[in-house]
Amino acid sequence: MEKISDALLYERVRGKDKAALEELYDRYEKMLFSYLCKMTGDRDLAEEALQEVFVKVWRGVGSYDESKGKFVAWLVTMSRNAAVDLIRKQKKPSVPLDEIAEVESTDSSVEETAEWQEKSEQIHQAVRHLSEEQQKMVHLFYFKGYTHETIAEKCGIPLGTVKSRIRLALKKLKTSLQMVQEGGVLDDKREL
Amino acid sequence: MTNANCDQLIDYLNGTLNEEEQKQFEAHLAECPECREIVDATGELPYLADPAAPNPGMKARILDAVFDEEEQPAPLAEEPIKRDKPAPPAAMAKRGFRTSKWTPLVAAALLVSLLGNAYAFYELSDQPDAPAAPEVAFETVDLQASEAFEGTGTAALVHEEGALNLLVQANQLEPTSGDQVYQVWLLKDGQPIPTGAFTPSQENEGAVFFSLEEDTEGWDTIAVTLEPNRGNTAPQGEIVLSAAIDPEA
Repeated sequence: MEKISDALLYERVRGKDKAALEELYDRYEKMLFSYLCKMTGDRDLAEEALQEVFVKVWRGVGSYDESKGKFVAWLVTMSRNAAVDLIRKQKKPSVPLDEIAEVESTDSSVEETAEWQEKSEQIHQAVRHLSEEQQKMVHLFYFKGYTHETIAEKCGIPLGTVKSRIRLALKKLKTSLQMVQEGGVLDDKREL
Repeated sequence: MTNANCDQLIDYLNGTLNEEEQKQFEAHLAECPECREIVDATGELPYLADPAAPNPGMKARILDAVFDEEEQPAPLAEEPIKRDKPAPPAAMAKRGFRTSKWTPLVAAALLVSLLGNAYAFYELSDQPDAPAAPEVAFETVDLQASEAFEGTGTAALVHEEGALNLLVQANQLEPTSGDQVYQVWLLKDGQPIPTGAFTPSQENEGAVFFSLEEDTEGWDTIAVTLEPNRGNTAPQGEIVLSAAIDPEA
């Protein structure tokens, strides 16, 4: 049986179909939670952010349709912004340091599935084709929870420049990712 | 081919456009393949992270919170108790992910159904030719009220094929106010995970059912706290009911 598309499931969610929401949750739980853990460095905060994302999906906040690109990208944007807000509010629970170490070490990572491994290799390869500066922009914007304003402040660069640098970095990432996905292995020497 | 709209892409991704700008940009996105492809590429970025295992019970908590948004106060107390109300199918107990707020009657019926499963197993195991039944362990505990708390409660824990079903019922509860909820926790070595929340009925009774699909923790304590709001991942309120449980069960 053909897998139902994300967009169709989302349609059903808009019709208050709980099973459809659960299916979407199952599809993206691991991916988004892993991302949010890396971004927040805190498993509880990551869970809180993930919950906010799915509450918004269920309530129909900022509705999605295919003209906005892939559903997963829309979810990633919402996840990033939920985490940025939570980090900003500094809602991190005050757990003693020795306990943090223990929590973090308890099965915090799981075995990579074949699909995860493939996707991970592709994006890592694509990122390697960005300049150091561009990698830094992507890292700060997507994994440090910095807004573009914060990046401008921290790096001492005008906001407009930061925006165009992030855009350029993402544009190059898109191009190199497409080449990796289409061509299998990307020739390291090839100019993008 | 950058135009003024393309320049707004990063503000869009950053969630900092106002409503009007957001609409305009989304209209632009529908027309501009390049911006759309850039957005699509960001959907692959999470794979730069190491895969992380979900927190224990996370799916149940999140879906509970999501669906709870619109299932706020059901008029439970208004309904007279109907003795002939059919018991929920046993399959509900195996649903696996959901915490629910049950009326005490439904909770009691569910408990009987869970007990029935455990009992059926013991019956079976007496018969030498019976097929190998799944391993079931059953435990009930009376919850001890903290000082100055009038309520009482019981918890039933059923371990079956690696999963844990937990049912907590409480009576003579003090009414909650505002966003307050009674929150149930399982603890191991003082580390809690939230396992469902409830608010008391007008009869001051409450119950919650919770399932952990893969339970390997060996919990040693169950506790109920009065939380200032729903959805806390660590307790903020006072413990009102608690009991030690057998981690080996």
